[in-house]
Amino acid sequence: MNRLVGRGFQPITSLTKPDGTRWSVKEKLLLGLTPQDYMAVQMRNPFNWLLWLIYAIGLPVLVGRFIYGLGWATHGSYDYPWGLFLAWGLFTMVPLSASGFMMGTTVELFGRKDFKPIERLGLLNGLLGYLFAVMFLQVDLGQPWRLIYPMFVSLGPAAVLFLVAWHVATYLSCQVAELVPAYSEWMGLPKAKKAIKSIVLGLTVAGIILSTLHQGALGALFTYAPGKVHPLWYSSTFQWFLFLNSAIFAGLSMLIVVSTLSKWFLRWRCDDNFKQNLDQLTVGIAKGAALALITYLVLKIIAIAHDNKWEYLFTGWGQWYVFEIAVGVIVPLILYTRAVRNESASLARLSAFIAVFGIALNRLNTALITFNWKLYQEVPHWREVVIVITVYATYIVVYRAILARLPILYTWKERS
Amino acid sequence: MGGRTRKVLGVTAMAALLSLAPHAGLAAGGPTTVELGTLSRLFAPVPFDHAKHTGLAGSCAECHHHTLGEAPVDPNCARCHRANQPAKSVACRECHPAERFGAEYLARLAANPQLYHTGKPGLKGAYHQKCLGCHRAMGGPSGCEDCHPMTEKGEAFYHTGKYAPAPHKGGHEE
Amino acid sequence: MKKIDRRIFLKGGLAGGAALAATGTAATAKGAGTFNGYPNSMGVLVDLTKCVGCRTCEAACNKEQGLPAPDKPFNDTSVFDEVREGGQKRRTTEKAYTVVNRYDVEGREGGPVYRKFQCNHCQEPACLTSCFVNAYKKTPEGAVIYNPKVCVGCRTCMVACPFYVPAYAYSSATNPVVKKCIMCYDTRLKFGRPPACVEACPQEVMTFGKRTDLIKLGHERIKANPGKYVDHLYGETEVGGTSWMYLSDVPFEKVGFDTTLGNQPIISYVKDFLGMVPVVLTVWPALFTGFHLLANRKEAKKKEEENKG
Ligand code: SF4
Ligand code: SF4
Ligand code: SF4
Repeated sequence: MNRLVGRGFQPITSLTKPDGTRWSVKEKLLLGLTPQDYMAVQMRNPFNWLLWLIYAIGLPVLVGRFIYGLGWATHGSYDYPWGLFLAWGLFTMVPLSASGFMMGTTVELFGRKDFKPIERLGLLNGLLGYLFAVMFLQVDLGQPWRLIYPMFVSLGPAAVLFLVAWHVATYLSCQVAELVPAYSEWMGLPKAKKAIKSIVLGLTVAGIILSTLHQGALGALFTYAPGKVHPLWYSSTFQWFLFLNSAIFAGLSMLIVVSTLSKWFLRWRCDDNFKQNLDQLTVGIAKGAALALITYLVLKIIAIAHDNKWEYLFTGWGQWYVFEIAVGVIVPLILYTRAVRNESASLARLSAFIAVFGIALNRLNTALITFNWKLYQEVPHWREVVIVITVYATYIVVYRAILARLPILYTWKERS
Repeated sequence: MGGRTRKVLGVTAMAALLSLAPHAGLAAGGPTTVELGTLSRLFAPVPFDHAKHTGLAGSCAECHHHTLGEAPVDPNCARCHRANQPAKSVACRECHPAERFGAEYLARLAANPQLYHTGKPGLKGAYHQKCLGCHRAMGGPSGCEDCHPMTEKGEAFYHTGKYAPAPHKGGHEE
Repeated sequence: MKKIDRRIFLKGGLAGGAALAATGTAATAKGAGTFNGYPNSMGVLVDLTKCVGCRTCEAACNKEQGLPAPDKPFNDTSVFDEVREGGQKRRTTEKAYTVVNRYDVEGREGGPVYRKFQCNHCQEPACLTSCFVNAYKKTPEGAVIYNPKVCVGCRTCMVACPFYVPAYAYSSATNPVVKKCIMCYDTRLKFGRPPACVEACPQEVMTFGKRTDLIKLGHERIKANPGKYVDHLYGETEVGGTSWMYLSDVPFEKVGFDTTLGNQPIISYVKDFLGMVPVVLTVWPALFTGFHLLANRKEAKKKEEENKG
């Protein structure tokens, strides 16, 4: 598409064509191209070939998981009830999607309208992350068709997961609502947009509460397993706060990452407003992330001091821990700080990629790698890995499809 | 329910009731062979060579505790049961209940707070702890079927013999 | 009775959280870790010194619970040599609610120790307190039972159980459920009868009775046999106490017991988070609406000044 636009193609930015007639939904779905052109564009993209390959292998395995059960798709381990599906799909995806509530708060609550160009991307990143976290959950649940049981059929309100379920569900609806304006513009339904505008503050505050609690709750889930998670990754007192705190820079870093990827690969779709402001906004976000990182680092140290776990630092696990902190926290912290000082967006971007890696490492460490540290190391079944890649590929496909269409990276014009 | 209950009760039986009549020549060292079989179900009754065991055991009290009037072996028992009057019966089942954890026996225990012997084993436990305890210590036979061959019911219960699982047909092995 | 009320209270706990109301949650957190079980609940005292490793209990459980046929006969002792990942011994599975393992303890007279192992039926079960569909129940008789009809299959209970007890029917695609010992509740305990494994054991390794009586009995047995037992009843206090308790003549950690679990019920480790929930629910809305007003007042002022200027 970048090439097409280079040759003078105009992507859709309003309800009407240059000649004054309205775009039909079909035309809008095809990005304003003829079906033939659309297919040609798709075929030219080597990334799509990779996707086809992933689906060719992944879809049968994914279907197989539902036909033959979890025992076929995973090791069906009794000692490791949670495998890669949740370690990656839930515990990593959700913090990386904290950008939704962060951006909502910044723009709508703190009135930082200067972040407006990237607000919708932040919201979308949140929505899709959560949506696919639920997808991953559906793959992992033994009886996915009972997903709504904790809401309506049999309630276990004293459990942390109960809170996660309710909050993720409520928050998902919040996020859908927050993105209704983008959809209503694109579809030409101005009423819906107005309706949301009037409740946006309420939605945002609800988003903060729900996010605080369920991001923390994901951490608190591990406090049920005091003897199983390695002490360095475990803190009865601070676990929830560590998860919440790290979700803040995780979400912000992920936002920098997706905005960077959009800038590279969806350049045709970004309008000048987005492109011109992005560097400055990236530095702004980097500032927030750096603040969250320093708090996190201090808190991590306090957590160890609080339970006097220093001696563990001198074991093999301790080295692994130091590696995680060094690469996942200290390096991005330094890079972000320098990026802010030098107003260097590219340094902030580098840092963001590292921070996202760091947070993924932290969640995988907590849920999978150091889990059952006294027993043995579970290495996920290859089918499990294939399924994770397939679902994640779908996440990327949906993400890209929405970015290419809805006014996320560009501002909708009332008339062309 | 009831049928199943019964069955499982029976299942528990690996040994038998010592059918020692109270009058059977105690002075002469007891009977020669005794069939232990009233609880048997999974295993055939045990033909117990009483005469042989009286020779091997140092004293009758080794198995019969104080009931024959001899001083019990266990010093803990001897604190109360010094050499005194023989009991009315020396049969194991007289003191060791067949249904040790049945509601009836448990209620009896509960109703009698003065009772000292609250941890007394049931009949099956008494047999096995006594027999196997000695057999293992003295190097006697100690496999289940060394004393009582398994019945067909037993084979079904243990999934062995005729009922053994086909080899390498392991289902979900983690 | 107060103690039981606390449990009901606990259940009501986070409901508020979901509904964005805050009542009652603070007390939940404070109360965690004080439930001492139903006064007349039953239990089982397992005396490891008596077990001879005949696996009759495994067979009895298999039959009573209608479990699938085993991979090897129940009188096959080669299972004691099986090793799983990480050099581990056998554990409970979806096909076996109880397993017996052999431990060769150096210097012990009288050969190896056999340990029968199943759900310990905790007083304040981690499985129960972590379940978000309330599938578990601690019955007044002492059993921790499970309702497969509402289980969603998230497997948090398996993560939470400090004893690695619950297994999952991974082999089923259409109706996978948690599989664990239920103390023969449906078929026996409910009617005042002992569990099948207890009754089947030829050695009477297990004593079935009121938990409070068993604690006394256990300590009496330790006292009556000086030097024989380790002076500890495993399960009397561990993770808040369990209905199944153990006596051993060798240190418990040598025969597969985790002696690092502590005496707090697992839910007490979660209380810091639970205590925070109502605070967030009540303070956050006010706090952030306040922030919003502050931020926008500045902006409004700025605009005003701009207009003037
Ligand atoms: S041992 Fe595990 S499964 Fe059994 S009651 Fe306790 S926590 Fe639950
Ligand atoms: S109590 Fe019942 S379910 Fe539990 S191990 Fe024993 S026989 Fe099996
Ligand atoms: S039946 Fe009794 S003696 Fe045999 S293995 Fe089980 S607990 Fe041990």
